[in-house]
Amino acid sequence: MANKRKVKDFLMRLVTYLGAAFSLFFLTVTLIYIVSNGAGLINLGLFTGDYHARYYGGRTESESSCIECSEPETYKGFYSPKYGIALYDDYDRAGNVVIRVSYVDAHSPFSLMQDTNNPSQTASLSIDDVVTRIAYYDQPSALTRNGAEMMILSLESSEDIREITFATLGGGIRGSLITTLYLIGLSLMFAIPTGILTAIYFAEFAPVNRLTNLMRSFIETLTGVPSIIYGLLGITVFIPITVRLNLSEGPNLFAGAMTMAVILLPVVIRTTEESLKSIPKSYRHASLALGANYTQTVRKVVLPNALPGIMTATFLAIGRIIGESAALIFVLGTAVKDRVRVTESSTTLSVHIWSVMTDEPANIELASSIALIILVIVLILNIGVKYMSYVINKKFRGVV
Amino acid sequence: MKTKNIFEIENLSVIYGETPALKAIDIDINEKSITALIGPSGCGKSTFLRTLNRMNDLIPECRVMGSVMIRGENCYENGYDIIGLRKKVGMVFQKPNPFPMTIFDNVAYGPRCQGVKNKETLNEMVLEALKQAALYDEVKDRLESSALSLSGGQQQRLCIARALAMKPEVLLMDEPTSALDPIATLKIENLIERLKKQYSIIIVTHSMQQAARIADYTAFFYMGELIEYGKTDQLFSVPKHKQTEDYITGRFG
Amino acid sequence: MLDTWKKTKTIKEKPRMLRIEDKVLYHVLLSIAFISASFVIWIAIFISIRGMMPFLTDNGGLGRVALWQFLTDTVWLRGQTFVSTAYGAGFLVLNTLYVVFLSLLISFPVGVFTALFIAKIAPRKLAYIMRTAVEMMASIPSIVYGLVGAGVIVPMIYSSARVFGTHSSGGNSTLAVVIVLAFMSIPTMTAVSEVSIRSVDKNLEQASLALGASNIQTQFKVVLIAAKSGIFAGAILAVGRALGEATAVSLVAGNSRSGPNFGLFDITSTITSTMLQGLKETSGIDYDIRFSLGVLLMIVIVVTNIVLNVVKRKVGKLNGE
Repeated sequence: MANKRKVKDFLMRLVTYLGAAFSLFFLTVTLIYIVSNGAGLINLGLFTGDYHARYYGGRTESESSCIECSEPETYKGFYSPKYGIALYDDYDRAGNVVIRVSYVDAHSPFSLMQDTNNPSQTASLSIDDVVTRIAYYDQPSALTRNGAEMMILSLESSEDIREITFATLGGGIRGSLITTLYLIGLSLMFAIPTGILTAIYFAEFAPVNRLTNLMRSFIETLTGVPSIIYGLLGITVFIPITVRLNLSEGPNLFAGAMTMAVILLPVVIRTTEESLKSIPKSYRHASLALGANYTQTVRKVVLPNALPGIMTATFLAIGRIIGESAALIFVLGTAVKDRVRVTESSTTLSVHIWSVMTDEPANIELASSIALIILVIVLILNIGVKYMSYVINKKFRGVV
Repeated sequence: MKTKNIFEIENLSVIYGETPALKAIDIDINEKSITALIGPSGCGKSTFLRTLNRMNDLIPECRVMGSVMIRGENCYENGYDIIGLRKKVGMVFQKPNPFPMTIFDNVAYGPRCQGVKNKETLNEMVLEALKQAALYDEVKDRLESSALSLSGGQQQRLCIARALAMKPEVLLMDEPTSALDPIATLKIENLIERLKKQYSIIIVTHSMQQAARIADYTAFFYMGELIEYGKTDQLFSVPKHKQTEDYITGRFG
Repeated sequence: MLDTWKKTKTIKEKPRMLRIEDKVLYHVLLSIAFISASFVIWIAIFISIRGMMPFLTDNGGLGRVALWQFLTDTVWLRGQTFVSTAYGAGFLVLNTLYVVFLSLLISFPVGVFTALFIAKIAPRKLAYIMRTAVEMMASIPSIVYGLVGAGVIVPMIYSSARVFGTHSSGGNSTLAVVIVLAFMSIPTMTAVSEVSIRSVDKNLEQASLALGASNIQTQFKVVLIAAKSGIFAGAILAVGRALGEATAVSLVAGNSRSGPNFGLFDITSTITSTMLQGLKETSGIDYDIRFSLGVLLMIVIVVTNIVLNVVKRKVGKLNGE
């Protein structure tokens, strides 16, 4: 019997270990997957680059080769002394094979060309661009699938270039990054003051009665509403408001921020109220006893002491904004924009992930890179929240 | 007539981290009798009680030195079966703490943990324990209702029944009546006096009257030391030590 | 502060100016709090109105959507998009409840055992690591879960489907949705369970140990039982979240157009995934019907919550709470 019991005990213990291992395993898989797929694309260009590639066709003015061009000391791939450019094989942010420019000499004929799509304009090839085709009069075109080396060889052997087709890299997330920042700023602008004032009401003034309880439970209910429903709220209420105010014609950042603000309200209110409650009663009584009225007490004693709590609320709110997708898909739209205007639709980082994942074919690399960025930001915010709760604990320890 | 000892304790010291809680205690405890432990708060009487069924093991920084012999076996020896010890030495706590289950399940908990599955056996054990704890008549119609629906005194008797269901030899009681009203206290005291025919009972109490009323032997603890130990009437009428006298006459504590 | 506030109202000597200032502050705060509290009513009213429109208007000449068919039909749209209004969402409700139920079968035990591990079993350092890990899981946005689901789980299901002698269209399936939802719910389950496990009275544990139960027996037979109602509350929370999850589900569901889809390796669709399906290029009734789905979703969530709370109270009663 004792043995049977030991086996049972062991099994029960094992079950808890397995549960924990299971949780940990999934977190590890998630992190490994995101980092291994996403880390490769992370560089400065990803943050500053346009999402939509711009395509150019260029015709060289002079057909002569480049005499002044000198071979640079370091370059990637293969160099053409004749034309002063270097090309290399690479992958774009969707994982396709491309030939990219690693060097263009200032005197290269490619640095100043006539734009074939727009003959009155000039086009110039620059570093990081993607060369898709070089067409010649005297030999077959060199294409992406031939590789960078073949393209350079064909350049070297040709006297007469007809046209070079190239494009900017694309796949950058600058637009989504800016939208996210705008959305954070605007949402906080709506949510934080409303949330704080509501929290002050509940913590300092609300009488203990049915109405207060009802109001509290209404606000609590907001936490349980799925975010996709908030998206519908945005469409039925906030977008029409912005349209009525002549701010916009459809989905836009203002409406998105207002929607986000409603989503954030319960978090901001709860966190702020908790921090208000952790301020010792004696502080308030001391202020009132010194002849200050309630307004002054709130402004000078309560609010400054609630600051760490308000910071916590802000961090949590930012995390929520960055992670939100379902609501914003409705209110902000799904079209990735490079030039962001608050009165137009655009995508945040999260919606950008959804957008590229629902494209055909899905761009998992880019999505993972954005996810990695989001995870890093969220991690930093988490640390911020922890630090703030440490500050709050330290501040009021031992005070009644 | 010479009585047998259930516990023989030699040179027992307990240290919490850096603070000594018990200092070199030597005491023998008689079987089938009631021994009361008295003394001011923090004197170590509860700590002492908890060394007897090794409940102090749960406190991480607690170290125990010396020997506690139960029926001639040192229960602090390496590899001693703690669970077996706790089966032999039942415990009742200060606050009634029935599990959030039915009355039946509460009493059946201990046997079930030992692997008793047979329904009839369990039923028998539970009913016997409830009868012993003088609770059966009050709860016989509602064994399947929640233990938390009982009154405080009933809950405490349920906890006693729960301990009795394990058929222990010793019953440790840590101020079992301090959370109860006088009538419930009286019932428990009567119960304890009846139980001593079968069990060795060691009871920590704050109330000297309670010790005087029910205990056969009394031990007075002060600042982690065993000051005086002897027959209850002797200890209360002719204390040998000044500190004991001060305490029982209410000059401190 | 109100207690003092109410008392001072009766004190006449207070300077007038100050009292007005306080009164203004009070009423400003009250009205803002009112606005905050009113949003939930706005949501209910506005979305209900828009959600009812397809059933009440003729939808630009296409004719009304039949309410009963919408609630019970097993095909999302009989006829052509933008031409027909024969929508049916009955199977979506079944699919949604089905995937959420299955996901709870995973997340409930895993969450509870993880919580027990963190709170009671693990050595301190390991517990700290696990708690941090769970906190991290909780802060991962759902879209990232969807991405991992689409990138890891879906291909795994696709290749393992053959092992089970069946096939899966690209791996998008009920199983994928269930797994993604389960992993999303685990941190919620764990966090809530841990709090309620921790708040179990230490006396109960001691009583159990003193009765000769081993530590692990105590944890399973007393602590978990005593923490039952808190754990159940966590499950209700997790179910609520899973029912409303949209983007992550839409990335792995496969969007079936008829159902109910009970096969683990078959494509499926939930209320929320259908709301997002084809959103990039649609308008008119095909857009408006999503509001009706939204109303349906809210009804499903409210009803599920009520049912689970009734169950919780029944379970709690057995516990004597």
